Amino acid sequence: MDGGEQVVRDADPGLSPDHAEPSGGRVGSIAGRLAGLARTANRWVQAPLPQPPASLRRGPLRRGAFDSKLRSPRLTSLLGIALAVAFTVCFGTGLISHFIQHPPAWFWWPSRPVGLYRVTQGLHVATGLAAVPLLGAKLWSVYPRLFGWPPARNLAHAIERAGVAVLVAAALFQLISGILNISRWYALMPFFFTAGHYWAAWLATGALITHIGVQLPVIRQALVRSTPDRTAPGALTRRGLFGTVGAAAGVITLATIGQTVAPLAPVSVLAPRRPRTGPQHLPVNKTAAGAGVRDAALDPGYRLTIAGPARTLGLSLPELAALPQHTVVLPISCVEGWSATGTWSGIRLRDLIALVGADPEDAEAYVESLEARGRYRATTVPPPHSRDPFTLIALRLGGDVLHPDHGYPARLIAPNRPGVLQTKWVGRITVRGPR
Amino acid sequence: MKTARRTLIGSGTLLIAYAVSGALADGDVKFGALVFLVAVLVAHDGLVLPFTIGAGALIDRIVPPALRGAVRVAAVISLAVTLVALPLVLGRGRVPDNPSVLPLPYGRGLLVVYTLIWATTAVVVAVRRRRHRPHRVAGK
Repeated sequence: MDGGEQVVRDADPGLSPDHAEPSGGRVGSIAGRLAGLARTANRWVQAPLPQPPASLRRGPLRRGAFDSKLRSPRLTSLLGIALAVAFTVCFGTGLISHFIQHPPAWFWWPSRPVGLYRVTQGLHVATGLAAVPLLGAKLWSVYPRLFGWPPARNLAHAIERAGVAVLVAAALFQLISGILNISRWYALMPFFFTAGHYWAAWLATGALITHIGVQLPVIRQALVRSTPDRTAPGALTRRGLFGTVGAAAGVITLATIGQTVAPLAPVSVLAPRRPRTGPQHLPVNKTAAGAGVRDAALDPGYRLTIAGPARTLGLSLPELAALPQHTVVLPISCVEGWSATGTWSGIRLRDLIALVGADPEDAEAYVESLEARGRYRATTVPPPHSRDPFTLIALRLGGDVLHPDHGYPARLIAPNRPGVLQTKWVGRITVRGPR
Repeated sequence: MKTARRTLIGSGTLLIAYAVSGALADGDVKFGALVFLVAVLVAHDGLVLPFTIGAGALIDRIVPPALRGAVRVAAVISLAVTLVALPLVLGRGRVPDNPSVLPLPYGRGLLVVYTLIWATTAVVVAVRRRRHRPHRVAGK
């Protein structure tokens, strides 16, 4: 038995429909016809395909080309389960982040606990990074299957293999595009990262669920039946490989997690960000110059426009500073997985909402930046956040006037929200009733 | 089990269809996403895995049997860390006006991690060897 054969030969190929039961009664004619169709389709996808000449079976396609005794259905199943858990965590936390940014009508996200998004998004990135050795080991364990002979026994087998290719490609897409995103290497990705990562997540999830369905009997057998470890003495054992994958995941996590867990920052020599590195000891994603707002932000004639149902106000910086000031300690939590805590001072958004004649308990604020364009130049602050006394239009950070890169003259800071929605260089706030 | 499999395969296929139609309808995804999807598959199956398996075979050739397992473990961990660290080390994401992006010397950081991995492995090997030679201690 060569490595490829031994990994998994599905006795009951997943895509084969069950033999349709003969239908009875008067409904029978349509049901019978459908059953007949299903039988024909079944026969068709199960019909053996012509085989390529044996002379083409060379290199990795040869019998026994892969000789590691470490590969087994049990190893693959256990790695697969761990990987499925990791991908589920990433998919769930990623969906949360997507829905906060593009809320469907049914979606609701609270403003407390203030650090919830910091945790979900930190987990998203950390889990994705830790999944790198896991996916590597999983794909290594089934690599001989890529060179199985014949390449396709029948149409059902070909479809199943195409499904596996989609799963592998989508899984690699997610991990690699994620790594490129946190290292901000966008030139390698010929698409808008957020959109590509989002749709590939659905693709990976769909392909994963299908794959579990196809392999369910193999997985069950591999988990129920004990498989002796057949590795030679001295070679890496199954347990040894799990330990290695776990150690690799641990090293990667320790080397990067300091971007969100500040006490570990000195250990995390590969963290893409440092929570205390940046102007006013806080990282920046988009600089004032990069956003093209330097002139508008530093203009002495700056006024913050607040439009509401009763009136529209244009407040200068001294007028804003004369309003009741409050100080909150809130994190900036980036979708890229880093986060950092700041001490922000400014005016409560709910106070500004009341000032223009709206109900501060139940209003929505549309906050626009001085930026002329850009995907994230404006955001909507929904009622749970606009009524929260922690939500500020901040004028100061750590007691000092905001650095231009942190949004001078005024920025939004709200609890439990992605950093990309914490609009900087705020120029206009439109207050309206809830949708 | 038949019902479970049908449900899984059916719902998974529906999700795949949702992903494909959603991506096609999304103007931000573009053709480039498909190119990237195929490119990562080819790069992994055609380069990264053959390289890994080749490195494993090389370890079998040049490393004495007693050390092979340990060297293999350290090599696998090093490779995984390298894949994560490479874009940081190359630093193409740096922007001149924002020093808070990629603020660390990642090449040096990666060397530190390599050193720790291989030093730990060496210590583990040394400790195991000592444990496997109890006679000498007993004989004293």
